[in-house]
Formats: sequence, structure tokens, C-alpha cells
Amino acid sequence: MAAQLLLLGQIYLALGTLTAIPFLTIGLGRIDENAQGAWIFRPMMIPGVLMIWPLVLYRWWVLGKGTYDETNRHQPPFPGQTRLFLILACALPVVIFAALIIRQEGPLERPSQMIEAPE
Amino acid sequence: MSVKYIPVQWNMNKYLYDAVVLGFIALYVGIFLGLGQTHAEFSRPTDGQILRIRAFGSCAFIMLTIILCVGPLARLDARYLPILYNRRHFGVMTAAVAFTHATYVLGWYFGFIPGNSYEALLTANTSYGQVLGFPIEPLGIFALFVLVTLAATSHDFWLSFLTAPVWKRLHLMIYPAYLSVVLHVALGYLQDAKNPGFAILFAGGAVTVGVLHVLAWRHDRRALAATGAWRDAGAPNELTPDRGKIIHLSGKERAAIFLYDGNKVSAVSNACAHQNGPLGEGRILDGCITCPWHGFQYRMADGQSPTPFTEKIPTYNIRLHEGRLQIDTNANPPGTHVDPLILPEGAL
Repeated sequence: MAAQLLLLGQIYLALGTLTAIPFLTIGLGRIDENAQGAWIFRPMMIPGVLMIWPLVLYRWWVLGKGTYDETNRHQPPFPGQTRLFLILACALPVVIFAALIIRQEGPLERPSQMIEAPE
Repeated sequence: MSVKYIPVQWNMNKYLYDAVVLGFIALYVGIFLGLGQTHAEFSRPTDGQILRIRAFGSCAFIMLTIILCVGPLARLDARYLPILYNRRHFGVMTAAVAFTHATYVLGWYFGFIPGNSYEALLTANTSYGQVLGFPIEPLGIFALFVLVTLAATSHDFWLSFLTAPVWKRLHLMIYPAYLSVVLHVALGYLQDAKNPGFAILFAGGAVTVGVLHVLAWRHDRRALAATGAWRDAGAPNELTPDRGKIIHLSGKERAAIFLYDGNKVSAVSNACAHQNGPLGEGRILDGCITCPWHGFQYRMADGQSPTPFTEKIPTYNIRLHEGRLQIDTNANPPGTHVDPLILPEGAL
């Protein structure tokens, strides 16, 4: 199972590499005028492409078609964000309290004492 | 308008900011390594490698906790905004510290076995059916994966390429990552820690994150409930001619209010259409709001760049109510003309 997971990870990164090469050399300049002629920053984008290449391919395709509605850039932030951090706020104390309860030893138990070796 | 991407956009504030964070990391790890071995209980001796694992792991936890506290703190008190603006650099450094922790773990606990150490990492503990002794490695791997992804997509290019709504959704992964880190520590080192100071620091940090988010949420709700769709934007005399003032709306949405031509007031989105630069920190030059980051310009009344440029940002309705400015929290579509509010004599 672990070997298969690692293989999947390697395949994912290999596909990311195959995406990164044409995207960073050819695609970038075609979809973003700020990237035209700017080459020094491009190697820094490689890790990002490797991690989220499916999203990169999708955005490249959408922007390449030229049908993207630029006003979507100004949509309000994700409305579910409040719910997300409230869940986090509730979960954090529960996790910590539960972790302290299941400890086999309390955090304030008596410290160990060094015993003299018999002569 | 076009401003070419560069690897890192430095300015004096960012140099200072990064120096402070790097100084904190060096100081924390140095003190931890210096005092850790002598203060360790003799019944549980630790060697240098384990100490380094703990030093970088706890440092990453503290840094991540600070990152998550900065957002709600800035909503509660604007004095924390400077920390918020450079939070991306802080995040990249946190990912680097967490990565160092993971490298030491892999090199020490899984480095001396025959075969693939990554495979060993995933198979060393498979007791997923129990709470005590639950495998903490996948929790750490998930958090590290998220931190690295967010650091790798923190450049301005990604914000522009993915657009702010998608970029923000992606970066909300920091919340499940933090919960994963807390579980990683709670089911791991906390179960074995002998030092109550660690438990207090860990629990205190995590609960502070939760409490600050709840306080900021209540703060936003009260402000919205008090004024309905209209939010108080301060007294007119708080505005500086030809300068902006940033107003916090719901969630992370911000507007920028400008006073110009002596007595006219207009409000636009605080986020520049180029790379989301803070327009409210800019000023009016040549009759246009000018972004402090790259100089992109917008007309005050309609949020449109002057011809031949085509960038547009949302505008907001604004009114004077009982001597105070109020802004409509519902933004107008980008480029919508809104007549400027003319302040009566004596309002300034």
C-alpha cells in the first residue's frame, strides 16, 4: 500500500514536471502580459506547478480560450471561511482536552530520582 | 499597464520584517539547543538529533500559530496590519522550518533501515484503529504538504494567475493544516512530554488561535448588525486630502476611501486589479488613485483606469449620516460610476 502511494506521488510529480516545462517556457507569456520578457522569476514557479498542476492546466485552458470574465476577480471572499474557522475554533480545545485526558501519566507527575549505584 | 514579475519584491519594510522573523528563528532554535540537553530529564536522555527535531518542530508550531493569530488581530486592531501585509514571507519561512523538522525526523528515525525510508515512514505505525498510539506521521505529512503548497504558490504571479477568490480558497487549506498539526503534537509529543511548560505553551497557543477567531467574528458581526448594509467609516475630518483610508468590511473585504478636490469623497475596493496591492495605502496622483505597489491608476468616481488602459475595480456607495461617513458594504460591479459625496462646509 505504502509503495503504491509513493508510486502515485511520483507519477503526480512527473506529470507536474511535464506541465511545468511548456507552461513556464511558452504558456506563461501568452496568458499574462506581466510575464512577457520576465524569465528570472520563472524557476521559482516550478514547485507551485508541481504541487497544483491540475489547477494550472485548468486555468491555462480557461485563460487561453480568452472567455474568462475578468470581473470574477472581484468576487467577495469565500463565504464559507467563517464557518471553517469557527469549526477550527471549536475543534482545537476539544482535541487538546481529549489528548490531555488520554495521557497515561499526568503532566505534573513527580520527577524521577537518581538512585545511587550499590557499592 | 504592465509591470514585469520579479523573483521577490523587496522594500525596506520587508527587509526589516524578514530580519526580525529570521532573528526569532535563530534565537529560538539556539536557546532550545543550548538549554534542551542540560534541562532534559536524566531518565529520558536526548541526543542532538532529537533535540533538533523538537527545536524545529516546536518553532514551526509557534510560527504557524502566530500566522493564524495575525488575521483576526488585524481585524480587531488596525495596528497589526503591517504584520498581515508581509504574512506571505512569514509563511514561506514557516514552511522551511517545518521542512527542516521533517528532514531531521526522516534522517534519524527512518534513515538507518534497509529499504526505502519514505516507505518506512508510511508503514512504521499503521494502528489507525486506536487513539493512543495513533499514527501521527500522516498528520504531519498532510500539514507539511499544505505548507509547502502554500509557500510555493505565494508569489504575486499565483495571485494574478489563479485570481484572488481561487487563491484565497486554496490558502484556506491552512486551517485544516493547523488542526492536523495540533493533532500531530497532541497525539505525539504531548503524550510523552514531561515538561508542563510545553503543554502550557502548546495548549495556550492553539486555544489563542481559536479564541481570537471567535472574537474577530463577533466583532465583524456586531459592526454589521449595528449599521445594516451601511458601515461606519469614521468622521470626515479623519481623512487626509489625496490620501486613502482603509475600511474593513465583512470578512476579508476592504474598501479604500479618498478625499480629493477639497471636499469630494469616493470609495473603491482596496485591492488593485493588478496584483491586489493595497490601494488605500496609495495616494492620488495626476487625478487618479495610484497603487503603492506598481503605480496602477484608477479614477476615483468609477474605479476605471484612464484610457487606453482597461483595468477596473469595484466602487462603493458612500453617504454622510449624522456627521459621520458611512459606506455601503455591498460593492458595485467593477467600473460602476458613483457620484462623489460632496461634503458640506464645516464637515472637515
